[in-house]
Amino acid sequence: MLENFNFRVIWEYMPLYGQCFFATLWLSALSLIGAVLVGILACSMRLSQSRLLSWPAGIYIESIRSTPLLAQLYFFYFGLPSLGIMLPEWVTGVFALTLNSGAYYAEIIRSGIQAIHFGQIEAGISSGLSYFQRMRYIVLPQAFGMTVRPMLGQAIVLVKDSSLLSLISIMELTRAGQLLTSERFMPAEGFLTTAAFYLVIYYLLKAFSNWSEKRLIFKEAF
Amino acid sequence: MISFKNVNKWYGDLHVLNNINLEVDAGEVVVVCGPSGSGKSTLIRCINRLEPIQEGELVVDNMAVHDKKTNMTKVRAEIGFVFQSFNLYPHMTALQNTTIAPIKVRKMKKADAEELGRETLTRVGLKDRINSYPAQLSGGQQQRVAIARGLCMNPKIMLFDEPTSALDPEMIGEVLDTIKMLAKGGMTMVVVTHEMGFAREVANRVVFMDDGYIVEVAPPNDFFRNAQTERGKAFLSSILSH
Repeated sequence: MLENFNFRVIWEYMPLYGQCFFATLWLSALSLIGAVLVGILACSMRLSQSRLLSWPAGIYIESIRSTPLLAQLYFFYFGLPSLGIMLPEWVTGVFALTLNSGAYYAEIIRSGIQAIHFGQIEAGISSGLSYFQRMRYIVLPQAFGMTVRPMLGQAIVLVKDSSLLSLISIMELTRAGQLLTSERFMPAEGFLTTAAFYLVIYYLLKAFSNWSEKRLIFKEAF
Repeated sequence: MISFKNVNKWYGDLHVLNNINLEVDAGEVVVVCGPSGSGKSTLIRCINRLEPIQEGELVVDNMAVHDKKTNMTKVRAEIGFVFQSFNLYPHMTALQNTTIAPIKVRKMKKADAEELGRETLTRVGLKDRINSYPAQLSGGQQQRVAIARGLCMNPKIMLFDEPTSALDPEMIGEVLDTIKMLAKGGMTMVVVTHEMGFAREVANRVVFMDDGYIVEVAPPNDFFRNAQTERGKAFLSSILSH
């Protein structure tokens, strides 16, 4: 079996894979940053006392979590231009990934915030800190500390989900596999190489996760 | 300094503070005691409006706490509050715990706040634990950090809500000694505690509460030797019998 496996072709396509590896990296990184910000915003809106804020956030989170990413992606890719909104493909892709993961981040951050003992907030109130100061200096740092693992888990999901961007003809790792398959008809070589690069990203994120957990000296307090 | 006038508070139908009248003068140390559920924690938590009151007047340092329009940040900056469960920020060192409010609320320069934090932590006997995280400290040390955190705001009043109830017996002494040091320095304090030896030594008055009422107010020696009410006597015999 292995004698049929063509390493030479893989080598030949390496420049393309390298380029696509970095494309996947930066598309994911951009979406990740956006998703965390959207998550913080959606989560604070959802936890707000005001229904004017909490309802839209709830509808956003529920509708994203209840529908497939591919349908969302197609909606933005085909649907928005039909409504007269034209965006470059990569913007559409990052936008879809950001909104999708943002809903999951909102829920992860919420679980972290709600796990914080109310005494922490009372201590902040007692010393005169404002609502935003309590959020910024007391609640969010602890919520992030407690949710490092699920947050990085979601980051790994996001990287893998970025493979769907190949379907709107963005050049990234899965698209590279598709090209090798269609140009040379070598799907085994093509997609195994694609998978190997995802594995590299996975281990990078995992190493970061372990490193950041070790840095959380205060974690035994939880 | 603190003045309750006909203060009432309800949780739903439960009448937790019943027509409370109490004056605490500047420099005075008042110990509040009573059985659990008597309203003593609620009483102290109303002073910085961790709990709102529904009726009556509550004035702290000439600011009307009962008035919804009062800027509570200003009131709270003048009141240090020490909790039963410490409530230190676990992601900050002892020093950061003490400097966050001076920097963010008092707008103190970071270097000045750290200088003050070091001094204050040294005062409560934690010179060598300045850069420790709460999880690395014993209960008694954590509570002393919490006291230092309150003191760094240079408050006019310190409130203590059962500061030693969550501590192992061998650590109660170090925390009480710290509070005694403040009392002798002339700090206005309200302390909810069952430590009767402490009350005898430092309190100017003991307030005995039961069922949402203030039942007795007396100097500690009078209250402990010669409680005037049946409920006071019953409470004292129940806590002194073991």
